[in-house]
Amino acid sequence: MSIINYASREIQFKIVYYGPALCGKTTNLNYIHQRINPLNRGDLVSLATATERTLFFDFLPLNAVVIKGFVTKFQLYTVPGQVIYNATRQLVLRSVDGLVFVADSQWEKMEENVESFKNLTDNLALQNMLIDDVPCVLEYNKRDLPNIAPINYMEYVLNNRKKRLQSFEVISSTGQNVFAALNAVSQILLHKFSKQSEAPQGAPLPVAIPLDPTTPETQRLPA
Amino acid sequence: MNTIPVLTIEDVATLDGVLGDFLRKTEADLTVVIDRGGNVISQCGDMDAMDVTVIAALAAGSFAATRELARRIGEVEFNALYHQGNGNHMFMNSVDDETIMITVFGSRTTVGLIRFYSTTTAQNVASVLKLLRRTSHGLSFDAKDISAAPVFVDQS
Repeated sequence: MSIINYASREIQFKIVYYGPALCGKTTNLNYIHQRINPLNRGDLVSLATATERTLFFDFLPLNAVVIKGFVTKFQLYTVPGQVIYNATRQLVLRSVDGLVFVADSQWEKMEENVESFKNLTDNLALQNMLIDDVPCVLEYNKRDLPNIAPINYMEYVLNNRKKRLQSFEVISSTGQNVFAALNAVSQILLHKFSKQSEAPQGAPLPVAIPLDPTTPETQRLPA
Repeated sequence: MNTIPVLTIEDVATLDGVLGDFLRKTEADLTVVIDRGGNVISQCGDMDAMDVTVIAALAAGSFAATRELARRIGEVEFNALYHQGNGNHMFMNSVDDETIMITVFGSRTTVGLIRFYSTTTAQNVASVLKLLRRTSHGLSFDAKDISAAPVFVDQS
């Protein structure tokens, strides 16, 4: 749960990148760490195995001034995707404020995507939380690979619910739409605590925000 | 309407007083109160040498990771953990179900002294937080106070 320190005028939010093993969660954080202004970030901490598989979590603290009069601290975490580490995922999800679900677009990973999303909803339920109550966006990652499912199919499999989540086509290895997804979940999260309680973009878009290499990242955000 | 819990200036001053008293008695370098999700609630001491945000995230993970170990020997969790270094050490103890207290200390003091004073300090911190949760200050923002610009910018 986020908390405001009125003495230091700081707000802290925790955003967790969730998804199946090897879907690109750590790659997301690595890209953000590399490309964000060093003055606005702390160290990227990775607790990984010798083969760079996430063992515990990755952690990246970011600072921003987005609410008048307050410094907002966003703490980005990843979970270990491997099935056996569910206890660790539950631990990292504790006090979560926002979620980025990273799905692997490859056909053969679709079952793992679905299992991981179900695992996410199950683990949120253990904290008495519903996915609809937590600001969340979907990333359809690895859109540059040849063996990928079409977006409509991924939407049907992962986003077929009454309250649809905003989704993004992403190539995390080159960073395409990585910041767009992070900015989207941040804005939804911030507006959750506004007196109007609605994000400026209103209802989530029906299809994923597409890749567009000719358009600057920030202009691909919904109006 | 969703609101964010608030630590008022008075709450922070009270916690600072409790933690400052603990540091004076123990001669520890730094003490931080965090929630079990890794968020910093309050901190006191020499914060220049360390990134408290990272320490809080790792300490919350470390504390939770030993829970299963505790269960294996018939405990619900370990109430306290001690990490011994060559010159600097870390002591973590449970404040309540939601909160942990971390103390970083060097050779000027001993783990025994830290352990001794941390018990009463944790009780005092728990009382402050209990009162805070009961009174439950909450804050929401005007939408116009939230910047419409992208929060984070890709500097490519």
